Amino acid sequence: MNKMTETSQVLDTASEKMSVEQSSRRDFFKKAAVYSASAVAATSVLAPVKLRAEDDPAIVEEAPWGVKLGDPVSKNKYGVPSPYEHNNIRRTTALLASGDEYASISMCPIHEQEGIITPNGLFFNRVHGGVAHVDPKGYRLMIHGLLEKPLVLTLNELKRYPSVTRIHFIECPANGGPEWRGPQFNSVQFAKGMMSQAEWTGVLIKDLIADLGLKPDARWMLAEGCDNSEMGRTVPVEKVLDDAMLVWAQNGEALRPEQGYPVRLLVPGWEGNLNVKWVKRLEFASEPFYAKEETAKYTVLTPSGKAIQHFYAVEVNSIITSPCPEKPWTDLKKGDLVEIQGLAWSGQGTITNVDITFDGGDNWVEASLKGLVLPKAWTRFSYMYRYEGKPLLLASRAVDDSGHVQPTIDQETAVVGVEAVYHRNSICTWEVTDKGVVNNVHIRKV
Amino acid sequence: MYTFEKYKKFISSAVVASVVLMSTSCNGSNDVEQKATAEPAKAEAKPAETVAAPVAPAAGEKGIDGGAVYQTVNGMYTSYAVNEQEKKDFTFGRAPTATEIAAWDIDVMPDGTGLPEGEGSVEEGDELYEEKCAMCHGDFGSGGKGSRSTYPTLSVGEASIDSLTHQRTTPDADGPKRVIGTYWPYASTLFWYIQSGMPFPHPKSLSDNETYALVAYLLSINEIEIDGESLDDEYVLNREKFLKIKMPNQNGFIPNIDGPTGPADAKAFYADPNNYGNGTRCMSNCLNGEKPNIVRPMNIIDDFEPPMSTERMLPAENTEEAGPVHPGKKLYEASCAVCHATDAMGAPNLGNKEAWAKVLDKGIDKVYANGISGVNAMPPKGGTTVSDDEFKAAVDYMIESSK
Repeated sequence: MNKMTETSQVLDTASEKMSVEQSSRRDFFKKAAVYSASAVAATSVLAPVKLRAEDDPAIVEEAPWGVKLGDPVSKNKYGVPSPYEHNNIRRTTALLASGDEYASISMCPIHEQEGIITPNGLFFNRVHGGVAHVDPKGYRLMIHGLLEKPLVLTLNELKRYPSVTRIHFIECPANGGPEWRGPQFNSVQFAKGMMSQAEWTGVLIKDLIADLGLKPDARWMLAEGCDNSEMGRTVPVEKVLDDAMLVWAQNGEALRPEQGYPVRLLVPGWEGNLNVKWVKRLEFASEPFYAKEETAKYTVLTPSGKAIQHFYAVEVNSIITSPCPEKPWTDLKKGDLVEIQGLAWSGQGTITNVDITFDGGDNWVEASLKGLVLPKAWTRFSYMYRYEGKPLLLASRAVDDSGHVQPTIDQETAVVGVEAVYHRNSICTWEVTDKGVVNNVHIRKV
Repeated sequence: MYTFEKYKKFISSAVVASVVLMSTSCNGSNDVEQKATAEPAKAEAKPAETVAAPVAPAAGEKGIDGGAVYQTVNGMYTSYAVNEQEKKDFTFGRAPTATEIAAWDIDVMPDGTGLPEGEGSVEEGDELYEEKCAMCHGDFGSGGKGSRSTYPTLSVGEASIDSLTHQRTTPDADGPKRVIGTYWPYASTLFWYIQSGMPFPHPKSLSDNETYALVAYLLSINEIEIDGESLDDEYVLNREKFLKIKMPNQNGFIPNIDGPTGPADAKAFYADPNNYGNGTRCMSNCLNGEKPNIVRPMNIIDDFEPPMSTERMLPAENTEEAGPVHPGKKLYEASCAVCHATDAMGAPNLGNKEAWAKVLDKGIDKVYANGISGVNAMPPKGGTTVSDDEFKAAVDYMIESSK
């Protein structure tokens, strides 16, 4: 029996079941013959080929990946994403390309973010002197200053200390900073993509220094990198004795060079800039160090002319990621039930509530939190919505367990003005048009 | 111990000040004097007689950041299970030597801790600046130009700290000027940062004397005086004079973080979210009958690299002919591009036929020799430690890409 005959027999059987359909048996065979002859490789020999306009060729026809061998397991020693996902990537813009992109930032594609863990290759990347490539054999960590016993460790020695694993976001405090005076990006990747989240593994610094005899007047700790920029920041000892860590792993594998391989500081919930990459030196002192990145930068200038310094935590915040300008509702029909989703986070605690407005902040309903709800971590929220095809002003507002509520733009600028650059956490609004197009707008009086 | 009374007093003053700030902003007042009273921490930062050593916050206490603090309870730290066995008496590592500490501990603190001896004149600094800094930071610190516009401005002629109250709430308003002379609280930061992080492509290459000279030059173009003396070309800055520098904006920052009460002062400041903005959880009729005022983007920025797309399709075939990679390309990208990729002052950029033709007038041997030993702003071998042949390959790559 040749293949063609076999196919026809199967089709014959299938046609028996179509007696209720309008199509005549003669037409059916005529079409089938043409179809089979022209697309034999894609036609199933096992299942009936339906030929009606409403049938989906993705189902009826055999896909090429279903009829030939895939790759051997030996092909990728380190797996890579499907080539079809090549648009799920970090992006940059000339506006934020300082130092010819050696002292710059690339934005995380949070419009494609699923769950709460950012894949290591998509984690946003902020550097001050390029991405350093540190040889782990040449890596040393020095802990000195106001301690009875200063210490030098190799990487292997550091990794002998007891580890903890925690999920925390890191957010650049300039996230959303280009939009203090008005919206500029019709994109959630650029409006809010200076953040990502990972599961970090490392040692709590309080465990690391437990034996070192921290002196009573040690109030501050300098953390400094071993890269080109040596970017240093001052951390209060209180945070060091609470939850600060030195981490060497990110989502189950070694840190990526872009995240400070082999070791970075992790100060959960605090300005991304404080999470010093490629950290080589911790120095304890009685007075703060006044490094360049905590004076000239990363300070919040208020209308009084005074600038807030040592602005540690990034405050309670949230963003709707579905829909968003990149992922609009243009494919929805009136009456579709659709999930509104987003991320809420606070460097000052754990998310307790997220509210959603459809009318630009006049009336709010409470959304559900879903998945893991962890301190100083991205928390997903969800709200089921019956799409009506009418214009909306859609926004979210988060609340945390330290009693902080995400402010409106006017509430925030009333205190810190519009020249703060950093720590912008006011409510983000999407304008959804009657066609389902999503635009970034501000609801503000000033 | 930091007494509770003082702490309470501080908190109440912070609250009052923040209310002032809120009300002046809300009623649209431009009364700068009144707003300027919102500086609670500095005013109250009187060192207590004895201050307890820092410890992690206790249960129920807020952290120094004004946030919630979590404790391990019954083996659980929030949602994480914890191994509560004792963790002490570790035996790993060793003490650093004095030489090792000296090699890494080069930070300079406001009180002069870490500041080395040395000296340099404004004039020497000017020459160094022209040679090593101006290509990015512009003439007289005026900031990067053209393709280098994102390089920081270091001085703005007439600007003073008065500009820091400027708010660009209208499109043509003048903004605050945040440069060294108007914003940086301490000159120690300048010395430390220049020596550890600059020049950008070749940090840690400046001697103590060169750093003094550059600091002197930068202070002079920012019109900073030291001990009543303005910094003319002949002015020689040394350690003794450096310690007398008082930057105009030294008192421009809140909260106080200095002295034994620094951490407590910061904690009191962040305990009150009205100091930095907080919302209200209104659920209905929150706009009091007003329509929301919608502000749309005036100039959309969408020069994204690569362009935005959420399509799921195979990437376009690479139509470029995949020829052999030039042996000098990798070194160029790693070490030369930072100066040669753009129109940097004196550095012929990749692809600029005219500039490279001019360079090649000297003959290729001279071009190699200059590059290897350094010329003008170009450090020897571009600051790399590669072999002569590897270096020449990078030069060849630039020349061949600029024909």
